[in-house]
Amino acid sequence: MLNLIGGLDRPSQGEVELDGQPLSKLSDDELTRVRRDKIGFIFQFFNLLPTLSCLENVSLPLHLRGWPRKKVEERARELLDTVKLGNRVDHLPDELSGGERQRVAIARALSVYPPILLADEPTGNLDTQTGAEILKLIHDLHDRLGATVLVVTHDKTVANSCPRTIQLLDGRVFADTRRPEISREEVTR
Amino acid sequence: MILLRLISWPYARKHLLRCLLTTAGIVLGVGVFVGMRTANKSVLAAFNQTIDRIAGAAQLQITAGDAGFDEDVLDKVRELPEVRAAAPVIEATVGTGQNNLLILGVDMLGDRSIRSYDLEGNDDAIDDPLVFLAQPDSLMVTKKFADEHGLAVNSKLPMRTMQGDQVFTVRGIMKPGGLASAFGGDLAIMDIYAAQKMFGRGRKFDRIDIALEEGTRLEDATAKLQALLGSGFQVEPPSSRGQQFESTSRMYALASNITSVFALFIGMFIIYNTFAIAVTERRAEIGILRALGATRGQIRTLFLTESAIAGLAGTCVGVLFGIVMARAMSGYIGGMLTEIYGVAQSPGDLTLDPWLIGTAMAMGLVTSLVAAVLPARGAARVDPVKALQKGGFQSLGEGENRARRRWAMAFGIASVAAFAFNRFGIMTYIGYVLAILAAVLLSPALSFWLSRALRPLLAGLLPVEGALAADSLIQAPRRTSGTIAALMLSLALVISLGGLARSSYDSLAEWMRIALNPDFFVTTAETLSSRSFVFPASLADGLRAIEGVAEVQPVRSVRVMVKNAPIMVIAIDVGLVAKRVHLPPVEGNSDEMYRLTAEEKGVVVSANFARLHDAHMGEVLEIPAPAGILRLPIVGVVDDFSDQQGTLLLNRDLFIRYWHDDSVNVFRVYVTPGADAAQVRQRILQAFGGQQRLFVLTNREVRDFITKLTDQWFGLTNVQTAVAVLVAILGIVNALTVSITDRRRELGVLQAVGGLRNQIRHTIWMEAIAIGAIGVLLGLALGAVQLFYSIEIARRDLVGISISYAYPFQTALILIPVILGSALLAALGPAESAVRGSLIEALEYE
Repeated sequence: MLNLIGGLDRPSQGEVELDGQPLSKLSDDELTRVRRDKIGFIFQFFNLLPTLSCLENVSLPLHLRGWPRKKVEERARELLDTVKLGNRVDHLPDELSGGERQRVAIARALSVYPPILLADEPTGNLDTQTGAEILKLIHDLHDRLGATVLVVTHDKTVANSCPRTIQLLDGRVFADTRRPEISREEVTR
Repeated sequence: MILLRLISWPYARKHLLRCLLTTAGIVLGVGVFVGMRTANKSVLAAFNQTIDRIAGAAQLQITAGDAGFDEDVLDKVRELPEVRAAAPVIEATVGTGQNNLLILGVDMLGDRSIRSYDLEGNDDAIDDPLVFLAQPDSLMVTKKFADEHGLAVNSKLPMRTMQGDQVFTVRGIMKPGGLASAFGGDLAIMDIYAAQKMFGRGRKFDRIDIALEEGTRLEDATAKLQALLGSGFQVEPPSSRGQQFESTSRMYALASNITSVFALFIGMFIIYNTFAIAVTERRAEIGILRALGATRGQIRTLFLTESAIAGLAGTCVGVLFGIVMARAMSGYIGGMLTEIYGVAQSPGDLTLDPWLIGTAMAMGLVTSLVAAVLPARGAARVDPVKALQKGGFQSLGEGENRARRRWAMAFGIASVAAFAFNRFGIMTYIGYVLAILAAVLLSPALSFWLSRALRPLLAGLLPVEGALAADSLIQAPRRTSGTIAALMLSLALVISLGGLARSSYDSLAEWMRIALNPDFFVTTAETLSSRSFVFPASLADGLRAIEGVAEVQPVRSVRVMVKNAPIMVIAIDVGLVAKRVHLPPVEGNSDEMYRLTAEEKGVVVSANFARLHDAHMGEVLEIPAPAGILRLPIVGVVDDFSDQQGTLLLNRDLFIRYWHDDSVNVFRVYVTPGADAAQVRQRILQAFGGQQRLFVLTNREVRDFITKLTDQWFGLTNVQTAVAVLVAILGIVNALTVSITDRRRELGVLQAVGGLRNQIRHTIWMEAIAIGAIGVLLGLALGAVQLFYSIEIARRDLVGISISYAYPFQTALILIPVILGSALLAALGPAESAVRGSLIEALEYE
């Protein structure tokens, strides 16, 4: 589902619209531009490029947009500071813990402050403690940046921390629960 | 077998393109080996077939070099009781516009006891040889020649002879087969006395063909004839005539062997690379097999069997490719040797040698197996526990790298040491092999350092694409080092061949500047190499009398067996020529050697003769001549490019006395200072052109002709260059295909975070260009070393001529865009497959 929403895949039936724009009608490069400008991805297995440093990984989408070098570096450092990795800019992914790698992945997803953030089991590959920290970070970013965050998870703790939960069963919507009053303490608990 | 079916076959099917590319190196290596050797053998077989068919029933042939001998030798030979029949022959080729025509001058009265002439229609010409003899314009041609030229009995055929333009009449047409199939059917028979006049041979024969009385032993007859005629004559069976031809084609064989070995060597790297990658990719699979109980031996055997199958498939295709190649090459080699020797021919059918095919199959198979030994050993050593864990294993261990560097260092030092002792022939070859091994072992480390050095440059050009391309090379040296090594070897071969050509042209130009300084060359043919026709000596006076001619130097060149090789003896008036030509001596004193040769106290030899036949200053050479053995000391050695087998420079008067031959092949003509050269040329043609076959070539025309011959020699190197570049490109395609498979997830992430298709393409292109650039850099450097050894080997064992070292900067400059462009071209397919792959699969790829 995230692949369809994120424009990585095309639906065999039905339509996905983003800001009123049907994604299936877009060319490959147009879809890429939609991803580039409107969507940030956070993967379960981080999908960082092992040969690039943290700074370079975060810079990647910005370079792809053709931003000037100086501006790219400023933004990448700012994002790494946001995810509290300002002191590890030159480290390679292999030199980081699981939580730190996911922070870098989040920083990369936020590189252009996209309006939509798609997270695929963002805590699935992390221990409970680190998972909670990442979840808090995602909520913080949601609050601060105002982006729509869509998290796919099998973890009820993660699901319960979200203000709205849509449950799917065998490909159909099974329940849609709204909890706008959810508190920050509940998220980190 | 079950493992092959269950494990190997699905993998091969999944990576079909890679499998095909992997075997391409073997296909090319085996193809070049089979192609060039088969072409050489076929041309040689055709030549031997011509000799055999022309020889007819002759068991022995008497010759005295290609200068011929006096007619009275025939009477002496016929007196021997062991000789049943003796038939004199004049054999020469003339150009007919399309092909060369071999003309056989025979004595119709006695020749039928040696050769049988099977004519179409009425056999008057043969039944009554007097009819043939009574009409000196008689000619018999083959059915093939008649059909090609629209000739029938009594048709007229004009030819340019030494007695001016003459019209010959076809008096018989030979049926196909037997004698008529000699020289590819381009054969004509005329009376020997008519042939003597036509070719200006005076009262001389080229050869006497002999049939022996029954019961006579060949050895006995040979000994008796040799004793009768003296050691200036050669008495040999017809089959020994192939010797001269073989010694020329030997150079092609050696050159083509080097190319084949290189192509196979490069192919070996490609196979090694592919198997090394396959082992890395299939670690999990190997781990599972080991966990399920497969032994190390089974794993090793599995990979070796895969390699053997790939090698066998590549070899079979290579043999077929070689046969196709041989068809094209045989025409080329045949045509070129015809130009040089006037006796070779293009073969109609290819001669396939089962032993050659067997050797090629073994070479392909062994190469493939050797290439897979290390990866197979690596696969057998895989730890099942580690193999089942996720992660990349592309990088070389530091220990492995260090060991390689140490070996490279050791080989490098040994190579330098071998260079110090390179006066012993074998040390040159050892040094050469060690230098190549050192370079190959060092190439992964060099590739790694160069990739790191290139990173800032590539990242500077395109920050993401460049950095990713460089990182791909830095992180996976196992994936690219084989390709870079293959590219390096290919380019080193190209550079050494190009350098050899350039050095040769430079040396040749210098020789032509000194040796070929007359204004004109008066010849009997459009080319200097044809020796079918000769001038009478008296023409010299006629030429001297022409207004504007300052000096005329007659030159006679004949091939004579010296030290068991067909050496070119050049007879000139040394005193006269030395005033205008002073070739710098390689050994001896310039003035002294020309003085001694002019006084008939010695002979000046070419450096290639001295090197190829191990001759030294002061050594007394035995030169066989019709008047007996001429014994002369070597008084000087000079660089002379006149002949590939080597030359001996004799004084003309001495030659006339020993060969009883004052005829002339070429007159070197100098024009009086201030005279109009064009007018002098016109005057010569007006005075003599109508009376006899005569051509006046300008200095420029002669130089152009020699340069053209050299171009043809080096034309073959273009094939080698193309093979080398092709193998290298296949290597790049292979490496990139693997690289993209390895980096599917990385490329998927790039697209997921906003990378456009073009940006992905740029990454792949830049990686390809980086591989090309590193390969070019290493190849150009190794080429400089290889050129040194190529020149040494050419000087010692191939042509014997000193060639000065000249790095082919022009070739290098051409190679840079060619290889980078080819690398880019090689990247197009893989790049497209990268952007067209499923993004979802790529992101989930582990």
